[in-house]
Amino acid sequence: MARTARFGNRLDIVLFGGCILLSLMSMVLPPNLREPVAGSLRRSLVAPLVRLQRGAERWRGAYLSSMREELRRDTLALAAARVPTLESENDRLRQMLGLASKLQWGFIPAEALQGRGRIEDFTITLSAGSKAGIRERSLVVAPEGVVGVVQTVDPSMSLAILFAHPDFRVSAMSADGSAFGIVQPHIPGTGVPAQSSYVQSERWLLEMRGVPFRSTLKPGAVVYSSGLGGIYPRGIPVGVVLGEIKTAEAWARTYLLRPSVNPAEITAVMVLTPQRGAAALTNVWGDIGSVDSATRRVVVAGDSLARQAAAAEAAARRAAIDSAVRSLTGARDSAAADSLARVIPGAAPIARAAPAPATTARDSAALRARRDSAAARARRDSVARRRDTTGVRP
Amino acid sequence: MNWGATIRTIFLCALLIFLHYTLRPLLAWRASADFLIIALLLAAVRVRPGVAAMLGFIMGLASDSLALGAFGAGALAMTLIGFSWSKLKAVFFADHVLLNGFFLFLGKWAYEVVMNVMERRMQGAELLMQILVWSSLSAFVTAVAGVLALMALRPVLETRAA
Repeated sequence: MARTARFGNRLDIVLFGGCILLSLMSMVLPPNLREPVAGSLRRSLVAPLVRLQRGAERWRGAYLSSMREELRRDTLALAAARVPTLESENDRLRQMLGLASKLQWGFIPAEALQGRGRIEDFTITLSAGSKAGIRERSLVVAPEGVVGVVQTVDPSMSLAILFAHPDFRVSAMSADGSAFGIVQPHIPGTGVPAQSSYVQSERWLLEMRGVPFRSTLKPGAVVYSSGLGGIYPRGIPVGVVLGEIKTAEAWARTYLLRPSVNPAEITAVMVLTPQRGAAALTNVWGDIGSVDSATRRVVVAGDSLARQAAAAEAAARRAAIDSAVRSLTGARDSAAADSLARVIPGAAPIARAAPAPATTARDSAALRARRDSAAARARRDSVARRRDTTGVRP
Repeated sequence: MNWGATIRTIFLCALLIFLHYTLRPLLAWRASADFLIIALLLAAVRVRPGVAAMLGFIMGLASDSLALGAFGAGALAMTLIGFSWSKLKAVFFADHVLLNGFFLFLGKWAYEVVMNVMERRMQGAELLMQILVWSSLSAFVTAVAGVLALMALRPVLETRAA
């Protein structure tokens, strides 16, 4: 037994030594002898293992390529999903640029961060503050119209209330200036649960109160700030009339308005400086500006008509003088000459100096002169009337 | 070791070698588990030291045939590891799972050290970094994989009495 164990130990040592020796020999083998040994191993013992490894690596390659493809698809889908957002943001910024070019001066662009809590529903945080020139009660506008008014100003940020805030009020008027009133938030009637969707959707609407009973506004009519309150300048769109609502005030009408600005789209705004707010805002927002420009166009057209009428009058007068001179050249009838002198004082000496024509010629000349003088008088009257009409500017 | 145990051991070693050439390329970790080392440990504690050295030599030479940079280095390292594990099983309680994990860590780390030194691809700080960081990490992953494999295969295995 002990001999067997000793033999086993010796055998182990011999095997171990032989393996170590072979390992060292294979390490120091020259390349021309090493490669045949390694090649024979690769072709026999290792060949199935290499095939397994190749298959596994192919699987991995396929998996990685499918992952890459999936990632590429996801990236494309993500990019495609972002396109509408980018387009709307682009449109919004273009509108802001348009508003900035119309305002020209006295505005501060700011980003609007909308509150997320229930209490902050009707306030926005602006990314500009007193360092940028914003003051309390500065007006906040968007390309569509009134957004709100600044309430609190910090050096680098400010807080503004939206048009739906309970404290918001603005004096407003119709586009033609026939109806005036006070616009304030529309707070739905009691008896309706505060969290109902009806109340939530109605809560963003506005009311135009105190409109004189004789003034009616049709649905779709645009309401502008009137500039009477002192804070909001004239001519900024506030909302669009949805319809009249019945209230307890029997002496005035109340209209429900849809705000010009969609609260969900308030991302970038302009804050007007007090100086800009005090200055005129004509031709900044569409309708008031177009009304003004139409008025100017009418006035200009009236002026040109007056100029044309004056030119026509002068031409007619010259033509009358010329025709009278031509017809009376050589006429010797003093009556005709006197008649002509009465009508055209400047023509008398010429008439008198002219030679006397025949009787029939004298009669026809007098008749023509009378006709011309009457026509000239009528033209003069009509031009005077036109001047009176076009000289009055609305 | 009876025939049944021998067949089971051969089957499990073949399974681990299969995993070495399939799972390892699929995972492609920088510090991946070495299933050949686990298979060698599994076999070495069940055979005589001479046989374990020979198994290590064959497995090392087979893996060296695919990496000509240090032909023979893997065979030398695995011969040493196989013989040492087979000898140490008589000293330590080889069926202890954590002890097996420690031996696996030590064996794989020694294998990595021998391979890195013999290949002469890296020198200085880079070699030190490879041995201390990546080789240690690879040895740790191998030890963890080995312990998990041994725990999973415990009902099938039957350790030869020392």
